[in-house]
Amino acid sequence: MGPVPSGYASGADVAALLVLLTEFAMLRAPQLRSQVRLYAFQSLVVVVLTAVTGAVRCHPDLYILAALSLLLKVVIVPALMLRLLRELDVGQLHHPAGGGGGSMVLVAIAVSVFGFFALRSLGFHSKILPTATLSVAVAVVLVAFVLVVLRSDVVSQAVGFFSVENGVSIVSMAIAAGLPVVVEVSFLFDLLVAVVVFGLIMRAHHARAGTLSTGALDRLRG
Amino acid sequence: MIAPAGVQALQVLTVLCGAPLVSGVTSHIEARLQGRRGPRVLQPYYDLAKLFRKETVVPEGSSWVFLAGPVVAFGCYLIVPLLIPVLTTYGLPLGYMGDILGGGMVLALGGFAAALAASDSGAPYAQLGASRAMTFGALTEPTVLFVVFIVAMITSTDLPYALAATVRSTSEAVRPSHVLVAAAFFLVVLADTGRIPVETHSGTLELGMIDEARTLEHSGAPFALTKWGSAIKQLVLYTIFINVFVAPWGLASSGKVVDVVAAVLSLLGKALLLGVVFAVIDNSFSKLRLFKITEYLAAAFLLACLGVIVFYVGGA
Repeated sequence: MGPVPSGYASGADVAALLVLLTEFAMLRAPQLRSQVRLYAFQSLVVVVLTAVTGAVRCHPDLYILAALSLLLKVVIVPALMLRLLRELDVGQLHHPAGGGGGSMVLVAIAVSVFGFFALRSLGFHSKILPTATLSVAVAVVLVAFVLVVLRSDVVSQAVGFFSVENGVSIVSMAIAAGLPVVVEVSFLFDLLVAVVVFGLIMRAHHARAGTLSTGALDRLRG
Repeated sequence: MIAPAGVQALQVLTVLCGAPLVSGVTSHIEARLQGRRGPRVLQPYYDLAKLFRKETVVPEGSSWVFLAGPVVAFGCYLIVPLLIPVLTTYGLPLGYMGDILGGGMVLALGGFAAALAASDSGAPYAQLGASRAMTFGALTEPTVLFVVFIVAMITSTDLPYALAATVRSTSEAVRPSHVLVAAAFFLVVLADTGRIPVETHSGTLELGMIDEARTLEHSGAPFALTKWGSAIKQLVLYTIFINVFVAPWGLASSGKVVDVVAAVLSLLGKALLLGVVFAVIDNSFSKLRLFKITEYLAAAFLLACLGVIVFYVGGA
């Protein structure tokens, strides 16, 4: 019987797992809109984790980070994405082509297992967050990549990219919580730029192909 | 004081007599949530009494298997309460007869007997139900196995009593793997009792039927046994979920009469509470299409799988 984790450690683990499960839910979400909403929820969990970690570990600069991410990742980015979807009026996109049914989930499970064990063999130990949280965060990053690779629509690729950032922000909190606020904020600024770029790509792709699916991209054009 | 053997018999009796009550209350609340008046709470008992008085009709060409199936299944479902902590925190004499895997096997044997009886009837719908139940049963097995793995890793045994004791002793800190396992098992219970995301348990929509279709050919006393058996199976699964995974409190720690009576009441209360949760779920989701059920089961498997990994990696 292993040692029982403390209240904070198990709470952090559960939060990280919640982030990972949201990632899996995004993978299977039938509607683009619900994908964006799931992203907002995921960001909210990350924000709560950041704020609680700031309180427990006495890192007041994490509060600033939490407040900024709350504003940006929970409110502004999802709102922008939802507005874009409403403007483009794509409605319910058909289900992605690559890998139907549970096989996508199985691939993602395999990838996240790889992430868990790869990180374990590296032997990282964080003073801020429990080790399990760190490996779950790495799994979040990897599953987000699976999302980008396997789902063939522009919105999933954008949301996948954004949720990579969510995973990375947990990892950075675990490894270097004392990171200067300027660096953290520049990450968030990066995200804002990415939103603009992805917005442009989505508009351009929709204007050219009449759909948000990337399945239309493999047709040759003379 | 009640002797351990007496408590053990009482465990079986509680499940035997309480199961129709739990079904009755659940369906009553479900009807209320839908704005209907619903059947009386004791309706399942009246149904059983009526069915036991009715004559038994057997399809032409079916063998003794058709009549033996419900009896065997009923017996199997009654063996499981011997193995799990229904009323007590301490293991009873026969409680160490089998572990969680043993209990799972006995439950599966009951399902197998029911499927055999359905196949023996020769009726298309019954056979369809039996084959579907077996197919989806095979898909829930991996989840159940992973749940058992985690139980084994947390407690170093695979006795349900040991896990319940562990949960009781660590009330202030929740293990992440334990949360995941409980969630996975919840989904399995939902699927195994034929509740809404998988099956409409009260309807007669043939195309979506799984468990309900198996019993279509039965009548009279064997039909009463199948109905009673499925109510018992439901209460057994509820009991495992409550008393092993989620809330193993309120159990008797000794054989005192007061303790045991309190344990019976608390078990029924907790089961009714869980039944209310299930009724709410029943009313807030729609039934999945048959081919989407695999995705639902994949989600349950995902939870169990992550539970194992998180335990293995984080030691939690």
